[in-house]
Amino acid sequence: MRKKVNLDSVYAPSEDVVAREVQGEFIIIPIASGIGDLEDEIFSLNETGRAIWDKLDGKASLRQIVKDLSSNFEGSSEDIEKDVTGLVEGLLKRRMVIEKRRV
Amino acid sequence: MRREEFNPTFLIKKEDVFSFSDPAFIELFKAVLNKKAAFRFKAKGFSMSPFIKDGDAITVANFFDVGPKWAEIVAFIHPETEKLIVHRVVARRKEFYIIKGDNACKGDGFVPRENIIGRVTKVERKGKRVFFGFGPERFLIAMFSHKKVLLPLLFPIRILVRLITKKPAI
Repeated sequence: MRKKVNLDSVYAPSEDVVAREVQGEFIIIPIASGIGDLEDEIFSLNETGRAIWDKLDGKASLRQIVKDLSSNFEGSSEDIEKDVTGLVEGLLKRRMVIEKRRV
Repeated sequence: MRREEFNPTFLIKKEDVFSFSDPAFIELFKAVLNKKAAFRFKAKGFSMSPFIKDGDAITVANFFDVGPKWAEIVAFIHPETEKLIVHRVVARRKEFYIIKGDNACKGDGFVPRENIIGRVTKVERKGKRVFFGFGPERFLIAMFSHKKVLLPLLFPIRILVRLITKKPAI
């Protein structure tokens, strides 16, 4: 089922992932199965993906995050909003982030 | 000032190219174990052959308050090289553990408890679980390894392993 992303929601990394920068790459390893498995799929975010991840702190809403990123990155607010919601949707689908609350 | 282009990407990686000597990789390893999850990765090298071979998938788990035991295979940070290594505990001297690769000439020296981060709970080779070297025979392996008489015995052990793991003729 497709998870709907809400701009007025606050998201945070799930307890079921471990995320670290390793050899210049930001790596996310799911551990929901009880195993952090490098032999299976692991995930990587580029620099701008990491910028979004870092802001998913369980405090700021997505709307606030989009606003913050719009002042630091090139591109229209609409495009940034689309990219942020797209990424968060992908992360939600894989249970890497959770919705904490709505503001 | 020109602002950076916004282009987030989310990639799915299928191969691990991590260096076992990278402190960030070791930190990632510890972080997974600290969350009470196991860590599965590909073995590199031949120092534990024939019990763990290059390319085998190793699963390492947290000790859960039961510390390293004699003869079990553990993942630890080498006190001198600071590299992540998977070898066998062959003896214990007070608060230090004497650890050695089954196929290595030289031991890893005295390793403090805090450097040992997890125990190997599973080894898989070509999708099949490897049991030899993890059952009661591990005590003999540890004893012979500590007495430095294991290496001459490895040739017949390899033949034995090959016979055990050989597919039966149909």
